[in-house]
Amino acid sequence: MKCIITIELGTNAVRVFAFDLNGNVIGSQRGYYPTFHTEPDYSEQDPDQMFITMLYALKNLLNEHIHPKKYKVASICFSASMHSVLAVDKNGNPLGNAITWSDNRAKKEADKLKTSALGKAIYTATGTPLHPMSPLMKIAWIKNNDKERFRQTNKFLSIKSYIIKQLTDEYLIDYSIASATGLLNIHKIKWDADALKFAGITPIMLPDLVPVFTPLSKLKKAYQSSLGLPADTKIIVGSSDGCMAILGDGVKGEGKATITIEDSGAVRVMGDKVLKDEKQRFFNYLLTEDCYVSGGPTNNGGVIFEWFSKQFGDFKNPFDIEYSMQELIAEASKVPAGSEGLLFLPYLLGERAPIWNANAKGAYFGLNIKHERKHFIRATIEGILYEIYSIGKTLEEHRSIKRLSINGSFANIPFCTQMIADIFNKPVQLRQNFHSVSYGAFLVAATEMGIYKNLDEAAKTVVLPDEYLPEKLNHHAYMKYFKIFERLSTKLAPEFEEIANLQ
Amino acid sequence: MHQFVFQQGISEELQLFPHITELGAKKNQAIHLNSFPQSSSECIRVYFVMEGKFEWRVNDGSYILYPGDVSLVMPNKKFGGEKGMLEIGSISWIHIKISKQGNNELLTGKWSTLSETESQAISKVLLINNIPVLSKLPEAGRILRYIHDEIYNQEIGYTTRANQLIDELFITITRHLTKQNNRARDFPKVFMQLEQALRQNLSQQWTVEEMAAIAGMGTTLFNEKVKNYSGFTPLNYLINIRISEAIKLLKKKDVSITDIALDTGFYSSQHFSTTFKKLTGYTPSQFRKNNLSQE
Repeated sequence: MKCIITIELGTNAVRVFAFDLNGNVIGSQRGYYPTFHTEPDYSEQDPDQMFITMLYALKNLLNEHIHPKKYKVASICFSASMHSVLAVDKNGNPLGNAITWSDNRAKKEADKLKTSALGKAIYTATGTPLHPMSPLMKIAWIKNNDKERFRQTNKFLSIKSYIIKQLTDEYLIDYSIASATGLLNIHKIKWDADALKFAGITPIMLPDLVPVFTPLSKLKKAYQSSLGLPADTKIIVGSSDGCMAILGDGVKGEGKATITIEDSGAVRVMGDKVLKDEKQRFFNYLLTEDCYVSGGPTNNGGVIFEWFSKQFGDFKNPFDIEYSMQELIAEASKVPAGSEGLLFLPYLLGERAPIWNANAKGAYFGLNIKHERKHFIRATIEGILYEIYSIGKTLEEHRSIKRLSINGSFANIPFCTQMIADIFNKPVQLRQNFHSVSYGAFLVAATEMGIYKNLDEAAKTVVLPDEYLPEKLNHHAYMKYFKIFERLSTKLAPEFEEIANLQ
Repeated sequence: MHQFVFQQGISEELQLFPHITELGAKKNQAIHLNSFPQSSSECIRVYFVMEGKFEWRVNDGSYILYPGDVSLVMPNKKFGGEKGMLEIGSISWIHIKISKQGNNELLTGKWSTLSETESQAISKVLLINNIPVLSKLPEAGRILRYIHDEIYNQEIGYTTRANQLIDELFITITRHLTKQNNRARDFPKVFMQLEQALRQNLSQQWTVEEMAAIAGMGTTLFNEKVKNYSGFTPLNYLINIRISEAIKLLKKKDVSITDIALDTGFYSSQHFSTTFKKLTGYTPSQFRKNNLSQE
C-alpha cells in the first residue's frame, strides 16, 4: 500500500502527517523547536535544530505508523511558513540563525520603501505588502546593518529551501514561498529587478524557482538508510502554509473564503486574478501559474485569548490552560452578543490588515459600572473576531463571499465558530479532525501522482462535514458595535503612536 | 525566638555539627555604622527576615527584603547591607560549609540524608538558578527556629533531627526557587527557560528529575507536559539540542570530534557517533567531510 507524507515547517513546530491515497490520516507526529528573541524585534530559529527536529519527528512517524504496517512512502510533500530568510555561505552552511516571518527588525527599510514611488511599483509587481516581515526588507536590513554576513552570503534561502537542500542537495524555492518574499514578480513569475536592486542582490543569490509540484527523486543515501525509505521516494517541494490551508479547505472558485486563526490569523480567497488594492492592504501569493491566494493577515488571533487566560483565567491544575480557556468560554456564553456594550480592540501586538499600524495597541472601551468579569471575557473574544471581520469586509470590496470555511485551533472552538458565522452572517464550514495545511499538501502530492487531474479537481473533492449557520439577531447586535470598533481602530491612531513612544 | 549566635569552634553546641559554621538570630534595635559590611565566604548562607525592612546587596545586586523573605547566598558571593549596616528588625541565619569534593555538588557530607542523585539535582538547581532572594517563604524561618531548638535543647535524637531539618531547608528553598518565577500558567515560557538552561549547561548530564526541577514541576506532570508540547520525551528533546549543537560545531574544522562529543553532553565519542548516525545517517566524521568549508 502506498502512502503520502506531508511535512509542515510551522512557526513553533514541525508537523508530520501520513495519509493513505484516499486522504485518510494514518498517523501524525509533531516536533517543537524554539524561537529566539535576542533583541526586542528579533525572532530567529536555528536551521539545524529545525532540520534535526524534522528528521526525528519523521523517523518516529515512520517507525510507529508506516514501516510496521508495510506502507510504501510514495512521496513527501513540504509546506512552510512564509517570509523566512536564511543566509548561507558557499558551502551551504548557515551564517547565523534563520530570521523567521515574525521578525520586525527591518522597520526602517520598510518605512522608507513604503512611502516611495518605487515601493508602490514593487508592491504591484510582487504582491507582498511592504512590511518588515517581507524577506525583501530583511535582506536589505542585512545589507545595511550586517555587512560582514552580507559579504559572506552565497545565497539567501527560505527555511524550506535549506531543509530540502539537506535532503537532496538542490537549492530550490517554490512559487508560493517565492511569491511571499517581496522579490518575485507574480505576474511574470520572474525575480523582480527593482526589488532585487533594493535588496542589493542578483538572481544567482536566490534558489532556483520551481512549481509547487516539482518532484525530486534525489533523497540522499544516508537518509534513505537512516529513515528506511526507498531510493525512488519523491521529495515534492510543495507550497506555503497559507496557500496549503486554503487549498486543504477546498476553497477554489467563486464565493468562498477561508479564515485561519491560530496564534495569528488570516482571511484568504483564491482565484485566477490578483486583487488590486490602491491602499496596499492585501497580499497576493501564487499557488500555481494561474492561481492566486489573496487576503489579509492579523497579528492578534488566538495568542490574545491565551494572554487573557494566563492573566485572568482560573487554573485548577498547574499549566492547564485548556481547562482555564474552557471555563472562561463557558462564562462568556452567559453574556449576550455585544457584551452589553463593552468593546475590545485586540491590537496588543500591533496590527497588519486592514489598518497596517505597527503602533496599534489594545483597549477596552465602553466600560460601565455593571460590567463584570464575564463581559471582559466575551468582549475579548468578540474583539479578536471583529478584527477578522474587518479583514473580510475589505476583501468583500473586491470579491463576493457567500460562504466561509475556517481552520486553526482558535477558530475551531465551537463558541468562536458560531460567533464567526454570526458576525459575518454567513454559513461556516469546518473539519474537526486535522490540519487543513497538511491536507492541502496531501492534495498537491496526490495531484502530482495523477490521482487528481489538477488542483481544481482535487479541491472539489474536499468535504467539510460540519456547518454552523448564522443567527440574524446576533448579527444585528454585532454590527451595531462593529461600527464603533471600526471607527476606534483608525480614530485612535495618534494616541496609539503617542503611547507607543512611551512604552 | 530569643537572640543567640552559635559559631563553629567557639560554641560547644556545634561540636557535633562540623558542617554548621554559624547559626544565629538577632533582634536589631539600633543602627550602627559598619554593623553589616559586605563579605564573601565559602559557605552557603541563608538569611531569613522576621521583622523589618532590609536593603541588602547580594552578588552585586540590590534587593529589598520584607518579613518572610529569604536571602540565599551561594559560596564565594558577596553579601551585606546596602550601606554596610544592619537596619532595625529581626533576622535569623545559618551558614553551611560545603564540601569541595563533589563535582558541582553542594550538600555532600555524612550529615546529609539526601541521596546522591537528589543532592546533585538540588545543587544543580541552586547553581543554575542563582536567584539570591526568595520572597514569601515563612517556612524557611520556621525550619531555622526548629534547628535552633533541636541544637539548644539536645533532646534524644537531636543530631539526626537537626541534620534532617537542614536537608529540609534546602529542599524547601529549591522548590520555592523553581516556582518563584512562574505562576504555573505559562508553560511555553517555562519551557523556554528550561531550554536556555540546558543549552548553557549542555556538556552536563541531565536526568529527567533535574530538568523537571528546573521547570518547577514534579516529573509526572513534567513528562506529560513536555511530550504534549514538544512531541518528544524530555530526554529525546535533549538529544535534539545536543545533535543540533554538534552539527554547528562539526562545521568548524578546529574542534576535535571527541571535544564536540563531550561539549555537547555525550558520554564518549562512541556514544556520540552512534546517536548521530542513528538520526542523520552519517557518522560525525562523514558529516564533517561533507560540510567542511573548502577554503
